Amino acid sequence: MPFCFFIMTPATIKSPHLGFGLGLRTQHYHSILETSPDIDWFEIISENYMIPGGKPLDFLDRIRANYPLVMHGVSLSIGSSTEIDKQYLRDLRLLADRVQPAWISDHLCWTGIHGQNMHDLLPLPYTEETANHVAERVGIVQDALGRRILLENVSSYASYIDSSMSEWEFISLICKKADCLLLLDVNNIYVSSFNHGFDPKQFIDGVPADRVQQIHLAGHHNHGDYIIDTHDAPVIDAVWDLYGYALSRLGPVSTMIERDDHIPELEELVQELDVARTIAAQVLHPASPAHKLRA
Amino acid sequence: MSQLSKLQADFQAYLVGTQQNSLFRSNIVNDAKVGADRRLAIYHDSYRLRLIEALSNSYPKLHVLLGDALFDSTARSYIDAYPSTYRNVRWFGDSMREHLSHILPDHPLTAEMAAFEWMLSLAFDASDAPVLQLQNLAAIAPEDWSELSFQFQPALHLLALSWNTVAVWKALDAEENPPAFEQQIPPETWLIWRRELTPRFRSLDAMEASTLRLAIAGTSFGDICASLQNEVGEEESAMKAAQYLAGWLEDGMLARFKG
Repeated sequence: MPFCFFIMTPATIKSPHLGFGLGLRTQHYHSILETSPDIDWFEIISENYMIPGGKPLDFLDRIRANYPLVMHGVSLSIGSSTEIDKQYLRDLRLLADRVQPAWISDHLCWTGIHGQNMHDLLPLPYTEETANHVAERVGIVQDALGRRILLENVSSYASYIDSSMSEWEFISLICKKADCLLLLDVNNIYVSSFNHGFDPKQFIDGVPADRVQQIHLAGHHNHGDYIIDTHDAPVIDAVWDLYGYALSRLGPVSTMIERDDHIPELEELVQELDVARTIAAQVLHPASPAHKLRA
Repeated sequence: MSQLSKLQADFQAYLVGTQQNSLFRSNIVNDAKVGADRRLAIYHDSYRLRLIEALSNSYPKLHVLLGDALFDSTARSYIDAYPSTYRNVRWFGDSMREHLSHILPDHPLTAEMAAFEWMLSLAFDASDAPVLQLQNLAAIAPEDWSELSFQFQPALHLLALSWNTVAVWKALDAEENPPAFEQQIPPETWLIWRRELTPRFRSLDAMEASTLRLAIAGTSFGDICASLQNEVGEEESAMKAAQYLAGWLEDGMLARFKG
């Protein structure tokens, strides 16, 4: 284990480093169980397993027996202005009791109000009022789950005229007020920086390093004047470069690749994950001869 | 209403509304590169595209049956009529049968196809339960049998279909041309359940269907035998009930018995 694991986090806010993981997808269930691939951990979409029973939960239990898992939700809607869904929190807690995840995350966004769900990760206005509101709700969620949660920065395509601060200032304010952790999606930083015209490195420099528990990487679709976060393609070189930059500031962070569409064979994603391993080794242990530079 | 509440109420109204040109655009930073209207349209479009994809995942053979264009318009009208209240998008399509009955009343097989696919999905991830085995019943004394009643697997459903919907589903599943649509009078009852984690289905004759309905309702074995007397006579009724029960046990349909 590298000597510098906890240098960034003396207060032990963060959980232990898990290494390099992948999003768990149904297409790979059999390969994972039959070949025990060299993947350190998997991330599940929580809602996919918030079901009564059957095959998905059977596979989940069998994969959990062999790998650490983390839970990643898409429907918490932490930024909604209407009441938090307590039944959802109870269901999430039940799943966590079953999975015993290393940690639980969701997105810094809203997905709907008045009981409706748009099933989309909608942006929040970056204001003090919103930060206070979100922080209060994070407190409720953390109490219900009995642990700190991670919030992920989302890709966005529009910004509000009401916003009075940058996204990274908004995130930092919430982390401080709510005492929560961060899931830094490096691809989302890239996508949003392209869509809104800011410097992605300034974003990385602006978030509290000691609270970044996990990193997401993914591919996207560039339409020329804007980018859509599609998770249907390999990670592009500019995002890999940004990942290296993030690690140089943050130190080792558990990292995973998300692929949600055009899902290739597991082996292809394991190879893509090796790129992350190589970059991490290169950035964190530049003197080590064992790690060759990426071509 | 706080600033955030109003912003979200207006944004949500914009998303579920049909108008792409909305007053809501005044909340969005406008720019020369993309522009507020196109930025908002990304959200307006992706709201629908994501849910259309979810419906296609829930109803794969209905999608093939309707074809891309009709499935797309059906899904869009469904999204407008039944906005999601679910955290898990897996449940979003739960009213498709009703929707198709309403919008395609002259094509009743489409609603039945939706009902059949939805029940397959319910069987797929229904609650787990122990599978009652024949030997679990071995110790029951003969005099106790008449009071015996049964609890079935949570994944088990019965569906009465008035058309050859399952034959069409099977053909589409095998990527073959479906047979001509035929009405079935009287309707045929289909049993959908799960065995070894995989959804199964089979048709039932009228006598087994009515007997199974009684058993699912918690009717005692003695009363089930009595009801069969009208069909097969007093001497054969217990034998017939036992045959059905043996078949249900063999198929892994039962979870528990109460004596």
